[in-house]
Amino acid sequence: MPARLRRLLTFGSPGVALIALLAAAAALILWLVPVAPREPTQFWIFAKQHQAVYRDLLVRWNRAHPGGHVEMSLVNGAVLDQRLLSGFLTGTPVADVMEVERSIAGRAFTGPIADVGFVDLTERLQAEGLLDGINRPSLSPWTSRGHIFGIPHDVHPVMLMYRADLVEAAGIDVRQIETWDDYFRVMAPLRQDLDGDGRVDRDLLNYSAADPYGTEVLLLQAGGAIFDAAERPCFDRPGNAAILARLATWLTGSHRVSRFADINTASGQQLIVDGLVVGVMAPDWLAGTFKQQIPGLAGKVRLMPLPAWQRGGRRTSVFGGTMLALAKTSRTPEVNWEFAKAIYLSREMATALYRSTCIISPFKANWSDPAYDEPDPYFRGQPVGRLYVGLAPHVPERTSSPFNMLATRRLANCLTALVAYAEDRRVDEPAALEAEAQRQLAAAQREFTALIARNVFLSAPP
Amino acid sequence: MTPPVPAAPRSAPPFPRWAPWFFVAPWLLGFATFVAWPLGRSLVLSCLQTYGPGTTVYVGLANFRYLLHDELFWKALANTVRFTLGCVGVQLPVALGLALLLNRPSLRGRAWFRLVFFAPSLVGLAFAALLVALMFERRTGLVDAGLHSLFSSWDPDFPWLEQYVMTALILAAVWLYAGFNMVYFLAALQGVSPELLEAAAIDGAGPWQRFWHVTLPEIRPVAGLVVLMSVAGSFQLFELPYLMFNTTGDPAGPDNSALTVVMYLYQMGFLSGDLGYASAIGWVLAVLLISLALLQRWLARREEY
Repeated sequence: MPARLRRLLTFGSPGVALIALLAAAAALILWLVPVAPREPTQFWIFAKQHQAVYRDLLVRWNRAHPGGHVEMSLVNGAVLDQRLLSGFLTGTPVADVMEVERSIAGRAFTGPIADVGFVDLTERLQAEGLLDGINRPSLSPWTSRGHIFGIPHDVHPVMLMYRADLVEAAGIDVRQIETWDDYFRVMAPLRQDLDGDGRVDRDLLNYSAADPYGTEVLLLQAGGAIFDAAERPCFDRPGNAAILARLATWLTGSHRVSRFADINTASGQQLIVDGLVVGVMAPDWLAGTFKQQIPGLAGKVRLMPLPAWQRGGRRTSVFGGTMLALAKTSRTPEVNWEFAKAIYLSREMATALYRSTCIISPFKANWSDPAYDEPDPYFRGQPVGRLYVGLAPHVPERTSSPFNMLATRRLANCLTALVAYAEDRRVDEPAALEAEAQRQLAAAQREFTALIARNVFLSAPP
Repeated sequence: MTPPVPAAPRSAPPFPRWAPWFFVAPWLLGFATFVAWPLGRSLVLSCLQTYGPGTTVYVGLANFRYLLHDELFWKALANTVRFTLGCVGVQLPVALGLALLLNRPSLRGRAWFRLVFFAPSLVGLAFAALLVALMFERRTGLVDAGLHSLFSSWDPDFPWLEQYVMTALILAAVWLYAGFNMVYFLAALQGVSPELLEAAAIDGAGPWQRFWHVTLPEIRPVAGLVVLMSVAGSFQLFELPYLMFNTTGDPAGPDNSALTVVMYLYQMGFLSGDLGYASAIGWVLAVLLISLALLQRWLARREEY
């Protein structure tokens, strides 16, 4: 045996042989495990409720389109978020068609408009006459620098869900309520110390300074905004300070009317069941979530339009949202577009979605759906769909700025600081808080102007 | 004349010369791919503004300059330092106290106590964070509900997670990690020479003097290691506040009171998509940690001589 080979063999101790054997076995197993062939068109969704709604349609679609099969995958929201951004930034594969939540979509708009990873649908929507059929404000979160990058899945108007059982037991007539002032005045008898310890246990509104989304809902309803139409920050625009000052008095001092029951936690939901909160700002999806997750409230709650900030004012707001987007890198663009229309324009889908989630369609043609008029026993027989549809055209427009999530949190921080200021100085009146609110908002304005100015892609001319 | 000594015949080495490289190659490959290359790239990235590899603009040191004037970064750094001081300041004495307690030979059920104190470290961090968040919730949380049932004057809506954010975080971290550090101290205490302690006792040293002049110097190297690990861990704080406050809609807590440097890095990199700025933050954090480690090493060496 040549010396070279002999040396090589002395290398082979039993340990090395074992490692080599294991490596070979692992490679063999991986090679032999069958990999299911993927359909050419991948459709990612993140909401389980949507999966159940789309399943039947998908079967029919695949039967009718042998050359354009679509495979649906339910992907965790956070995973979808990361896969999507990684795909856009580094070119790793993403789905061909995907449902994207608002907080994620905005981030895709950080770069130059030509580099956004979604297909620009503006021309297609116009050419096929679909644009006018969509509830106009519902397009705003998916529109960046004048380009529409998604078909809206929903409208998500907000109503006020209230404990009708408590209200009726107290002999309160909610028809007197038009504004927030009316609401807090008329409902005041329900604000009570229930256990006799001298502290108020039941409050009138589920709201907290630490809840950025609640503050965004109320600010938008009041006509305020933190981004203007050109997606520039406008924290310090006139009116925002007055809104913030008023919100601060809802949270502290002698006019306090709010407490926070986190609707995402069991303990928060229990507070609502226990009647410690009378009113909850409820978009259509939350009405559906309550029906699924809190059966104990069936027949105890009703909906009313959000009280306005002033007489004749807007009686709704908007909270959350999802779009259907098509990936630019897809090799099946025409199948994607036809599938997107089939799934989102369909009356049947709209009905199924409403029945399972209470979510109403953004397509006006679907608003005549008789399903929306069905009385809902959970809400004491109210035609929930019709109530939400009635408010749909009035939902405020929203920004699609990639900085919106951070800015909304910053707004909540301004409010937290304002509440602390009010508590320190024992200030109760909104007028006395406006100057401090303006100061807080001006600081936020400076920060975000500087932050966004750093982005050379957004500040560059289109 | 002495005949020249013939050179010993060289025997062939048992392994080829490249054998060691062959064995370390997988690790080197992994290190180069997942550590060295990303580190180098992140340094380059910190001087860029980018939206994917095809869309980058060289901005020089602009990211670092912006960081110097970024109030939120300084707030995050201040929160991180406060957490580190609070955590190390509370956690290490607690860990050492527990170790001293468990090191007493007269203590019955030592194994049981060891398990009890170490158990929180066995719980996953995510699970522990959610558990702590539930415990500190207003009215329904164990802390508020328990205190209200014990003392009726206690406000059941006491806002732990809104106004006492750092306290809640430090308490959670102490609960999680004190038992873990206790094990290090316990191992060090068991290495303290009983002869030295006995000699000190014979010389008339009391328990406190024995601890201060014998035990503490003996366990100092381990204590130094634990301090360094705790400081490094605290500076990298992310999951605990992120999960504790995530359900409220802002993981940074009210008024950014739970925002840490790593959370800010995440916010900038993955929420704002500003990977260049996030890389700059990462490098500043790395330099800070390296400086702290060097300082600790220098202090330890100074004490040795």
